[in-house]
Amino acid sequence: MNCLLCEQRLASTPSWQSLFAIEKTLLICEDCSKSFERVDIEERGDILHHVKSLYTYNEAMREFLHQYKFLQDVALSEVFADELKNVLLNKLKWKNAVIVPIPMHIDKKIERTFSQIDELLNAANVPYEDLLIKTNTEVMGEKTREERLSMRPLFSIKQGTVINKTTYILVDDIYTTGTTLRHAATVLLEAGAERVEAVTLIRAER
Amino acid sequence: MKKPFNLAIRDFLHGRLWLRMHTPFPTEEITDQIENGHIELIRGINTKPSFMNQKQHFCNRCENENQSLFTTFDCAKCEGPCTYCRKCLKMGRVSSCTELIIWSGEKPVYPTNHILAWQGTLTPHQQQASEELTNSQEKQTSHLIYAVCGSGKTEILFPPIHKLLTEGKRICIAAPRVDVILELEPRLRTAFPDTKIEALYGGAKPTMEASQLVLATTHQLYRFRHAFDAVFVDEADAFPYKADETLQKAVRKALKPDAPAHYVTATPTDKLLSTMKRSGSVSTINRRYHGHPLPVPTYESLWNYEKQIRKGRLPEKLRRWTEQRLSKKEPFLIFFHHIGLMEESRPLFQLLHPHIQSVHASHPDRKEYVQALRNRELPGLLTTTILERGITIPNIQVAVVGAEQQIFDKGALIQIGGRVGRSVEFPTGDFTMFHDGITYAMDDAKNEIMRLNKGGILK
Repeated sequence: MNCLLCEQRLASTPSWQSLFAIEKTLLICEDCSKSFERVDIEERGDILHHVKSLYTYNEAMREFLHQYKFLQDVALSEVFADELKNVLLNKLKWKNAVIVPIPMHIDKKIERTFSQIDELLNAANVPYEDLLIKTNTEVMGEKTREERLSMRPLFSIKQGTVINKTTYILVDDIYTTGTTLRHAATVLLEAGAERVEAVTLIRAER
Repeated sequence: MKKPFNLAIRDFLHGRLWLRMHTPFPTEEITDQIENGHIELIRGINTKPSFMNQKQHFCNRCENENQSLFTTFDCAKCEGPCTYCRKCLKMGRVSSCTELIIWSGEKPVYPTNHILAWQGTLTPHQQQASEELTNSQEKQTSHLIYAVCGSGKTEILFPPIHKLLTEGKRICIAAPRVDVILELEPRLRTAFPDTKIEALYGGAKPTMEASQLVLATTHQLYRFRHAFDAVFVDEADAFPYKADETLQKAVRKALKPDAPAHYVTATPTDKLLSTMKRSGSVSTINRRYHGHPLPVPTYESLWNYEKQIRKGRLPEKLRRWTEQRLSKKEPFLIFFHHIGLMEESRPLFQLLHPHIQSVHASHPDRKEYVQALRNRELPGLLTTTILERGITIPNIQVAVVGAEQQIFDKGALIQIGGRVGRSVEFPTGDFTMFHDGITYAMDDAKNEIMRLNKGGILK
């Protein structure tokens, strides 16, 4: 096996775990995994009661996202699977919560051929429900802060779904100004959700 | 009655295997040509069932067959399981539902008027090798030019290339390293001023012309199929070409069926040499074009250099060597085996001269720094093995720090030494191996250099 990111050969040392095939197979090399900076930033607010972000948006993470989203390397959804799984399962343990991925617009999804958040959750092997629909094709990254803050609702609730009086945990790849997450949280709260939290892989500076 | 078509599409797509969705042309025009039968559609990935319900995938662009480099996912576009190739991912993803296109209509006709503007003359050795290469090309057999560093390998190629061009043939010079391509491009443009030349490497924009002479990194050959009447692989033993089977397959795929690949190197691998002796022909040159001997390396012990550098101290001998170069105003290259160590030592070198810089494969200013060294704007560069070959800078002096490291095999050391004394004005120079213990590779390299200098023939 080679590292999924830098293609360097992964050194494997024989061990009892590998003999019994219970060893975790490494996906990325030590150098690459060291280049990501884990911070576990937590923020609290009104609309979003709690947001947890796992990593900083450093150069390595920028490259990771580029390869994952723009070069469409779906295999990379596995890279942070364990970390995401731990955080999300921890949340599910205490509350009767529902995990909701931030969706892509359907046109955009067909163009990219996959939805990056759904794939992250599939890889993490946690239960989730696709409750939201993205109503337009606007891209956050191309907007200024002012434009982001004054936008019409980005999401609607999928027809035929019932929002219970419980906690919903939104999952997104990157948290910059928080506009996307707040839009999604507002829609859920208006539909009857009790509390909305969020987990994002990355926390970016504006 | 056939509609007239945009000739640029033909010129661009002839011999080129391209993603249908990413051509520089309007999609309707491409669709028209597919309907007219001028463009062939090829599936991105072929999948056939294998034993035990396994599937065997094959990438039609890079011909990758390594199953661990395929990923299957649930595709939103083709609404089913879809497989993509990770080997050539960086050139735009190729998956089961991706279509590749190639020109299959009337072929472009290449001009036959080409000027060889190169003014120099070949030495008798070069002349002989050049003629032998031409003969091999006529017989459609592969040829290896095995010639020491600085023997004028590129010039040897000029007459055979010129001959092929005047026959209206399309040819490619490929090299594993982008640095080699960047160095070759201006030389070939000067030598063949009337020829449409295109240089392709990661990040280079393809021209829309029917380029008859293509310079390309071996990776770029993934994007060609049955395009060339000859491919010359320069520095055929360089990493990653020698270790990567798909790159070797890419050369064969880029060639028209039966067209030969030729190889040029100072340090062929044993495998290449024996293959060429068996099924091709070999020309050898053991003298530099200016007739001076190859610089023989001197060994200098540099005990615990790694520790010293990590502690922020430049080892004494290395400091003296560098100061000597600086005081004589000689440009220099210092090779390191490890980027981290090199970067740690850079500030120490910059105390000696603030303009000493370092380069490595993914350095953003790599091209600019090498050019600045050539223009004498920088006194010297620290480098990884990326600059071990292909570059010519008059009066350059060379040191290797950590010559005992595994990455410096015999071939690499000979190539590094081959940077020194290449020009007629400065046919000699210093080549020092700073080491923490002498390896067989160092001795092998030194012995081979001395044997060649004694007039020994290459084995």
